[in-house]
Formats: sequence, structure tokens, C-alpha cells
Amino acid sequence: MDVKRARPAVPPSVSGDAEDRMGLVKGAASLAKGLGITLKAGVSRPLTVRYPQQKVAVSPRWRGPLALRGVLGRDDIPLLKSASHAYNELIDGLYRSDRLPPCVGNCPANVDARGQAFLIADNRVAEAYELVRDRNILPGVLGRICHHPCETACKRNFYDEPVAIRPLHRFAYEEYRKIRHERISPLPRTQGKSVCVVGSGPSGLAAAYDLLKLGYRVVMYERERKPGGALNTGVPAYRLPRDVLYEEIGDIVGLGLELNTGVEVGKDVPLVELIREHDAVLLAVGLQQSRILPIPGTDAEGVVGALEFLWSANFKHEAGVRGKRVLVIGGGNVAVDVARCALRVGASEVKLACLESESEMPCHPWEIAEALDEGVVALCSLGPEEVLVRHGQVAGMRMRSCLSVFDETGRFAPKFGDETTDVPADVIVFAIGQAPKIDALVAGTELLVSGRGQLVVDGTLFTTSVPGVFACGEIVTGPGSAIGSIATGHEAATSIHRYLQGLPLDGDRVARPVPVYPKHAPADITNVEANRRRAVMPMADPEERASDFRQVELGLTRQEAMAEAMRCLRCESEVCVGCTFCARTCPDYAIKVERVDEAGARCLTRYDYDLSKCCYCGLCAEQCPTKALQHTGQYELSFWHRDLMVFDKGEMLRPPTGTRATGRDGVSPPGCPVPRREEP
Amino acid sequence: MSALLLGIAWGIAAVLAIAGGAVIGVWWERKVAGHIQLRYGPLQIGPAGSLQMLADVPKLLFKEDIVPSAADKPLFKWAPLMVFAPVAASLAVIPFAAGWAPLDTSVGVLFFLAVPSLEVVAILVAAWSQRNTLAAIGGLRAASQMIAYEVPRALSVLPLVLLAGSLRPTAVLGAWQWWWMPLLSIGFIVYLIASIAEMNRGPFDLPEAESELVAGYFADYSGMRWAIFMMAEYGAMIAASLFAAATFLGGGWPFGGALGTAAIVLKAALLITVIMWVRWTFPRVRQDQLLRFCWTVLVPAALVQLVVVGVVLPWM
Repeated sequence: MDVKRARPAVPPSVSGDAEDRMGLVKGAASLAKGLGITLKAGVSRPLTVRYPQQKVAVSPRWRGPLALRGVLGRDDIPLLKSASHAYNELIDGLYRSDRLPPCVGNCPANVDARGQAFLIADNRVAEAYELVRDRNILPGVLGRICHHPCETACKRNFYDEPVAIRPLHRFAYEEYRKIRHERISPLPRTQGKSVCVVGSGPSGLAAAYDLLKLGYRVVMYERERKPGGALNTGVPAYRLPRDVLYEEIGDIVGLGLELNTGVEVGKDVPLVELIREHDAVLLAVGLQQSRILPIPGTDAEGVVGALEFLWSANFKHEAGVRGKRVLVIGGGNVAVDVARCALRVGASEVKLACLESESEMPCHPWEIAEALDEGVVALCSLGPEEVLVRHGQVAGMRMRSCLSVFDETGRFAPKFGDETTDVPADVIVFAIGQAPKIDALVAGTELLVSGRGQLVVDGTLFTTSVPGVFACGEIVTGPGSAIGSIATGHEAATSIHRYLQGLPLDGDRVARPVPVYPKHAPADITNVEANRRRAVMPMADPEERASDFRQVELGLTRQEAMAEAMRCLRCESEVCVGCTFCARTCPDYAIKVERVDEAGARCLTRYDYDLSKCCYCGLCAEQCPTKALQHTGQYELSFWHRDLMVFDKGEMLRPPTGTRATGRDGVSPPGCPVPRREEP
Repeated sequence: MSALLLGIAWGIAAVLAIAGGAVIGVWWERKVAGHIQLRYGPLQIGPAGSLQMLADVPKLLFKEDIVPSAADKPLFKWAPLMVFAPVAASLAVIPFAAGWAPLDTSVGVLFFLAVPSLEVVAILVAAWSQRNTLAAIGGLRAASQMIAYEVPRALSVLPLVLLAGSLRPTAVLGAWQWWWMPLLSIGFIVYLIASIAEMNRGPFDLPEAESELVAGYFADYSGMRWAIFMMAEYGAMIAASLFAAATFLGGGWPFGGALGTAAIVLKAALLITVIMWVRWTFPRVRQDQLLRFCWTVLVPAALVQLVVVGVVLPWM
């Protein structure tokens, strides 16, 4: 057989190709150039410091934060002639001063989600509930409807999925309601002064709760027959069962709140009289009026505002849309609520039209996703042009295509195209925002009202133009979240307390900006172990749930909730939780972590840090969510002391190998909760 | 008998000179390297870290002297001295002053070229005795490189001999004229490059090649034996520079007497600095580049120099 032997491919010559070779002159010139470069470098000033007489005093980890705070210039490398404890302490102090875990920092009301997770993991659910209620006065309610900025900021976003903080609120409430009769008793009235709160929405309730705790008599007036404000009238019942709301408000009433429902201030009781009767008055009336666009045809029958629509859907379960085609105008959360309610009260077809494109819609993405699941049709990038009217009855809407909603500076300035579409509809609901309606309320008082019908309020101190009259909630901030309203309620209560005590209102108060954390990309969880994953909230079936007002989210079991609470990383607590992220990150495999991961007994059993392998890159400290690990510029490791973790030379010399980072007593691992040992 | 004693005395003097030169040279090389890399180099011990080697030498002396169990032990132990001895011996013929050299012999130039060549054998012995693949590769590289570069090195010195009409270094120095410097510039550069290759320094440090051969032919050596290899390298650098200073650069010119000797040392120090500068500028060449450069550039260049001095000059 003729085997055709393939010639082995000639490898490219190691000498390089002939044409690559330089000529003698060119080669000599390039050699001379190289020598010139090194000669120039050799006579110029070195870039390094004269260690150890000079040290780079600030570790690179600190340079960014210090530069941001203006302590350092942007390009300064401060040099220290000798090691300075004072400097370390300065840096440490700066760092400690505003140390909040991201979930607490990003919550407008600073709800202690970390503490909640700690207590739930420890099976102290009632304490967890009370801790949360301290800032978020309606945990059971907010545990169902909050837009959870805490979960957005949660550090676990970096690793897998955020801790399910909101479902934990709800779980805590479900456990607490079993024993609430034991825990609720009227608070003592120690101040001898009374405050009147107009409106029983979240902000009014928050202020009332704070004032009750401070010992004031609080009287609250509500126009509707049931309390809750927008939570009562606006939030659909499939998201918030009303018994939960009434029960939690009942708890506050149990603490001593005098609640008068069915009384409209300004009509049944004049505001002037309340101002005279009480030492302070807080207006928390919210926004009662739906805005409707000034376009032709809005006076036709079949055009309604979102608030009116939601009111009748919630209370009558009948909004006159049975079998009709509903078109919702707007892309916010209220619009989505209206659309989903319309399905539930029997609309044959629900469409939602908004100016924004699908990715720009202002509603929360999970809301619109659930709505689409239930059969709502979203028409994006369409602007309302004219309501089509036939015989005084709505027949549809002419929509014009919208090219862009915001201009370059990010302001609302929609640009429209030439195409128009006619969308047939029997009912059109405008969900494009709400406006205050306070004419009747302020009649007869000296309260200043701006030309657009808005109350004049100081945005930081929540004072109005009349001393002793304060305002909070959406009437101050405009349409917003429930938790944002609660935050203003807390601030207003502080103002009222200072006013009644004769203290300066501003004092050392600052308008604390709420930090906004960057949006996280969806975490890659392909290789994440099942026990590290976020608890999945059980949901009702989309087909069935769209037909009535049953709850969509079904809640977590105790076991799920405790497992979920244990996922909390206890950010910024300086106590190691054994998350092992440092070990996973370490490029040298210098860290070994072992932990017990059982409910109620989560603790480290071993933490080995082999400093002979360590390359001092600091990645572990960057990763550490709890800040239990600290990376400093002082790499002699000899004088930096931390309460719970001490890296010193004595520790380095401990047998057998490496260094063991131990607790304060030198034996037990750090981060272990105090052992709950039963005495025999 | 007296000749033997004199030889021993000169030997001790040469060892001390090389050891002292190496101590200063290592410090100076670290400073040069540091500044070229925009660092400070040693700073702590002594002014500008100049006494750094006072700390390093005891460390080397007290370090464990490891002999690999598979090594050929007698050869392994003696090889460092065999590397060092020819280098020390080559210092003997260098004319440190006009008309004076420690060993003023009529074949001095030949001695200077031939005796250090024995180093090749010693390096092969060291490499072979370790029973270590990396060391063996390093040793063979060293052999091919050093034998190849003997040729341009010898050719580059020949014009000097032709001009002076003598192989005696003191005679060469005596006959030296200032115009020899421009005339012999090609030969001088060839001599310098070939010497760098001879002493296995960068960019011709293939026999050591840390990144591929650990340390090449002395990979398994530690402590003082390793230090002797390093001293031999610095000794070769000192010897080559001193010889160039004493012959190509006119010895003590323009000074005489003790000042002349100082001038020789100063010129040699300058040449050493240039050699360090070259080392910290250029990356290591490849084996094929090394040999091609030798045979296609250096040897022809040395021959051109030889023709200029031997044919063109008499004809003119």
C-alpha cells in the first residue's frame, strides 16, 4: 500500500525570518536608544519612597474614601516620618462614624434589617418584629407591599441573591400576630400635651407611633370609615389583605392612639378648631386627586382617575368594567395596580399604555412581570393624543408614537413622532400621578398654599407657614413609596417633639441623603449551592389569581424564614459570620474557614489564616461583608489591634503552622454567638 | 622557592582584590539597577546602603553548604575554586603602572586570553557534578558561548599587539599613543561585547538564565560556594575592565605614577558601570541569536579592525 507520508510541517525558524532581521546600523541605533532610556531613568529621581523612614501612610484602601471626604487631595501620597497611632485612629474614626449596613443605609426609614435577620435566625421572632416596628411601623403591611430598597442594596447581591428581607417582615408579622394580645398595652402619657394627626396613612401612623412612645396624647382623624389612608383605598387587596392592615393599626391604637374614623377635617371638623384644641397638628392627608391629562375628550363617560377606580375596585369589587375593554394610561406602579385590579373586577381585556419604552417603565420590574403573567397587555412608547368619543361614550384613544421621554439632562420632555394608532377601549383609566386636594382642609386657616394647590412645607423640618402645624407624607414629597412616607413621618414626629419641648427645630439635624446603590446585574447563580440560595416566595397560580382578590404571595414557613435569615451576612458588624467569601477570594488559598450552619447556632469553628502564604493583596478584606477582616498599611502586623480579631506577632508564632485569628480570649473563634449552654 | 612564595602572596592579594571588588561591585550594581528601575536600591546599612554587603557576606558564610546526595561530591566541592582560580590568575599580567605588572611576562597578552579560558572547563565540571538537568544545560550553553566568543575576543586584542609589536602588556602600555583610541574603537567595542559574553552576564547570561534554568550551571550550589561563583563573575568583570583600561584606554594616561594607577582603576570602574548599564537595559538573547551575532557580526568586525591596523596602516 502506498502510504503517502505527510511531510512534517517545518516549524517556523527559531531564528526568525530573514526579513525581520535588522541591519547593522538600525540594530545599533535601537541598542543606543535602549541605553539612552535606561540612562535617563538612572539619573532621574526614583519613584519609590525611602522605606522605612518614609512610609506610605495611608493604605490604598483608604485613599479613595479619604480623597472623597476631602481629607486628602486626589493625588496626594502623604508620607509619615514614623508610624503613628493617631493617624490610624483618625482613619478608623472616619470609617466608624457612618458605618451602616447597606440594607439599613438604603432604607429611607433605616429599618434594621440586619438585626431582624439576626433575631429571626436566633428564633426570637417577636423581638425581631418589634425591632422592625420601631422604624417601619407596619411590618406586616410593608412586608407585602414595600419596594424593598434594602434588598436592592443587600451585599449578597454581589455573591448570589439578596436576603429576602421583605418576606421576613411578613413572616415576623405572621408569628407576632399569634401573641400580639400579650405584647400590646397602652403607653404611659408622660408629657401632658396632645397632638392631632390628620390622616391615617403610613406617614401619619409613623408620626403618631413615635409621639406615643414619647408620651404624648395623639388624636387621629380619618376621612374613610377604615384607617390606613392610601394603603386602605389605593393598594389592591390581592397585595395587601385588609385584615393585616387593620390589625397592625389596631396594635397602634392599642398603644394609646385615639383614632376617629369617618371624620373629614375641614368638613366635619374645621382645622382651625383642631389647631386651637391641640398643642400641635400634623397634616398627613396625602394626595387624594388623580391627575387627568388636558386633552380633548376627557369629559366623556368612561374616563376615570386611578384613585377613584382603585377605591371602587377595592371596596365594591365592582368598578363598572365587567366585560369591558380597559385602557390604562401610565407606566408606574399605580398603573400596574389599576391594570391588575381591572382584570380582577371582570374586564374582558386590559391594556396598559405608557410613554416609556419597556426598559424605561417607572414601575418595578417584578410588578409588570406579574401583570404580564396575568394577561395584561403593555403598549409601550405611546403618548395619549385624544380620547375618541362616540355618543358621549369613550370609544378608544388615539395614541401618538413617542420617540424619547427624557432629554439629555434627564428631564421629562417627551418627543413625539408622526405615527398615530387608535386603541379601542370602553373605559380609560388615567394613572399618571396624583395631586393634593386641600382646599376644604385649609379653609379658614392661615396656611399658605402655592399656586398649584400645594401646601408650602419645609422639606427637612416639615414645618408649614403656621407655627405648630406640621405636614408629612406624600403631601410633602409627592407620589412616592410607603416606606418613604413612613420616613417623613418619623422626621415630622422629631420636629413636633422638639417644637413642643421648646428646642430649636433644626439643631444638629441634617437632611440625611439616602444612599443609592448601583443596580446589580442578575447574579450568576449557576454554581451556587442550594442552601445558599434565596428562599423562593410561593406564588398563587397566575390563571386563578387573576380572577379574584386573593393574595398573590403566599408567605414563608418558619423553617424557610430561619434559613433565609441565616443567609444575612451581618454587614459591618465586625463579627465574622463564616461566609467563606474571603477563603473563596484568596488567590493563595491562605484562608481556611469551617463553620456550623445550623439554625440558632451559627458560628465559626475554625478560622486559619496562613500568613506565610499571604501575599498581602487585601482581597479578603475587600470581600469581607462584616469588616471583621481589616487590611492596613501597617504590614508589620505588630500594633494594629481590633477587638475581636488580633493579628499580632505572638499569634503568628503559634504552633503548628500559620496564624489563627481568634477571639478576644485567644481561644474561641470570633463571631460565635454567646453559647446558650443549659446548666445541668 | 621564593617564586612560589611570591606566587602565593600574589594569589592572596588577587583573591582579596576580587573579593573587595565584588563587595563594592554588588552594592554598586544594586544601586545602578535600582536607579535604572526608578528605585533607590539599598539604603539602610551605611551611607546610601554602601555597607549592605557587610550584612550579606556573613549571611553567605553562615548559610548551610548543601551538597546534593546524587552529586559527584569531590568535583562538586572543588568546582567553584576551579572557576575562580583562572580569573584570579588573569589579574597577574595587568600593567597597573607604566612598566610594572605583578607578572611581567613576554606572553602576557596570551596569558590573559588563555588562562581565563580554563574557566570553561571548570564550569563544565561544576555543571556536570551536580547531576542536574538544568545545570547540565547551563554548563553546555556556557561552553558553546565561551568558546565561540574566545575568537572575537582574541581577534579584537590582536591589533593592539600588532601596533605595539609585543605580547608583553607593559610594552603595549609603553607604546600606547592617544590616537590608538579612535583607531581601535571597533576593536574595543568588540572586546567589550565579547568580554560580557565571556563572563556570562546579561544580555548574554544564557548559562544562568534564572527564568528558564533556575541558576544554570550553579543551580544546586548554596552558601559560600555559590558566592564564589558570583565572585568569579565579578572577578572576570574586574579583570576584563582593568585589562581594557590598561591597554585600550592607555592605562594611567594622562597621569603618571600613583595617580596613573588610580586612573586605571577609575577607568575600569567606569567600564564596569557600563557593563552593568548594558545588563539592566537589554533582555537576554536567544542561543541562536547569540552564536549568529558572534560569527556574523563580531568576528567580521574584529577582522575589519585587524585589516585596518595590519594592512591599511603600514601601506599608508
